[in-house]
Amino acid sequence: MVVGHRSRFSAQTLAVLAELCATSSQWRHGYGIARDTGLKSGTLYPVLIRLADRGLVEACWEEEQPAGRPRRHLYRLTPEGLAAATAALAQARPAGRGPKDARVRGGRRVAARVTP
Amino acid sequence: MVALLRCSAGLLPPDRREWAEAARSEAAEVPAGRQQLSWLAGGMWLTVREAGLGGRLGYPLAFAAAAAGTAWSAWSGPPGDSAVVINRVDVITIAVILAGLPWLIRRARGPVADGRLARLVRTGGYAAVLALGVVKAAVERVADAPPNNSRGPAVAWIGEVVFLMVMAGYAAVILACTARRSPASPATVAVGTAAGVALGIAVYALGPLGFPLRFTGWWPARLYDAATAAGVLLALGTPVAAVRAAARRSGRARTAGSRAGQGALAGLCTGAVAALVVAVLSTATIALLPYAGGLRDWAAGHIGQWTPAVGQMTPVVGARLGYVAGNSAFAAGYLIVLLLSPLFGWGLGAWAVRIAGFPGPSRPRRPAGGPPAPASPARSSPPSSR
Repeated sequence: MVVGHRSRFSAQTLAVLAELCATSSQWRHGYGIARDTGLKSGTLYPVLIRLADRGLVEACWEEEQPAGRPRRHLYRLTPEGLAAATAALAQARPAGRGPKDARVRGGRRVAARVTP
Repeated sequence: MVALLRCSAGLLPPDRREWAEAARSEAAEVPAGRQQLSWLAGGMWLTVREAGLGGRLGYPLAFAAAAAGTAWSAWSGPPGDSAVVINRVDVITIAVILAGLPWLIRRARGPVADGRLARLVRTGGYAAVLALGVVKAAVERVADAPPNNSRGPAVAWIGEVVFLMVMAGYAAVILACTARRSPASPATVAVGTAAGVALGIAVYALGPLGFPLRFTGWWPARLYDAATAAGVLLALGTPVAAVRAAARRSGRARTAGSRAGQGALAGLCTGAVAALVVAVLSTATIALLPYAGGLRDWAAGHIGQWTPAVGQMTPVVGARLGYVAGNSAFAAGYLIVLLLSPLFGWGLGAWAVRIAGFPGPSRPRRPAGGPPAPASPARSSPPSSR
């Protein structure tokens, strides 16, 4: 389902979108996103679930079992997700609520809720 | 924690399990120690959230924690003291009543109703009953300690039995009114609760220690008298206003008889909530007396009935405070208030409905020159159940 540009994204969701948008051609794994955004797992996964439910993020498991670690669950933006993320981030930027501002460190929210 | 996360993933709907599995598998990449523990805790939180366990586990856990806190606060005191024994019996019995009644009410009236209102009223009501247990124990700790314990043990235990029965009645009303097959509509519960809270706070403000206040200046004394008169009018008028509001908000489909029932129930809710609010606030204030010097000074200047009877006066400050606390709580008669106020509200509500003639829901305004607005179904076609 494609989400219009007037969707509401929280600061945490914007941080995830920004992270995935910056590496849109690559598959990312949960811990990598959490490390780069500063989000806790209890925040990150609900955000990813909502984005996947809305068709903005696709998820899959690593195909082959790597040596020495479990298989990763991987995420990347869908084309609709990329469009929605680009629009939401562009809309957030003029108000000083760009991806950098939307990032959270140590679980603390540093930007107000974005309501474009 | 890893094993717990693996097992709890089974509680999730099938389309959500892979997310819990993802959180668990990623934990292997998180640096061991606190960070890994935090990551796994986040995975557990994800499971609780996505499985909808917050409501199913959260409320029982919160109640267990609150009941344990209540028991802990009421437990202290010398073992031989009758007040301590009474307090311990009180808190245990209240906890058992509050834990067991939902099972009984569920069989008769169904589970808790949908929506936030029912949850809010249940949580608030339970919190008020537990809080009353705590503050009552604090008052009795000083009021029933020697040499203040003038009442005999038999009288004390009879009072406790009545108190516990009243608390069981309150819990039953709270649970029944917020159940899915409740006789009270959500509007009735909302209006009755809001009116009861407002009335309880107003009554508390007029006599926070159970006694009427005394003011020395002419203006303050007149103002207090006026406020007291307004409080009496409020006590009589609030249930009536709640009755009318509830009867009007009870929906078009209801019959007049049903609206009358909702009105009486609104009066009952108003009286019960007001009594609970005033009992909790006033008993808490009385319980603070021995520990709050400012409150004691204020009370000494504004309450005239503090002089103990001949023979009960004691130079020991703690004992006198105990006497004052006990006397104040007794004089206020909160047990009687708790017992009679809901009945008074119910009776007043029924009377108001009878006098007001079953006010119906507001009808749509008739446009100028247009056809007459249709009558409400309750008036035009009474259901066969009437």
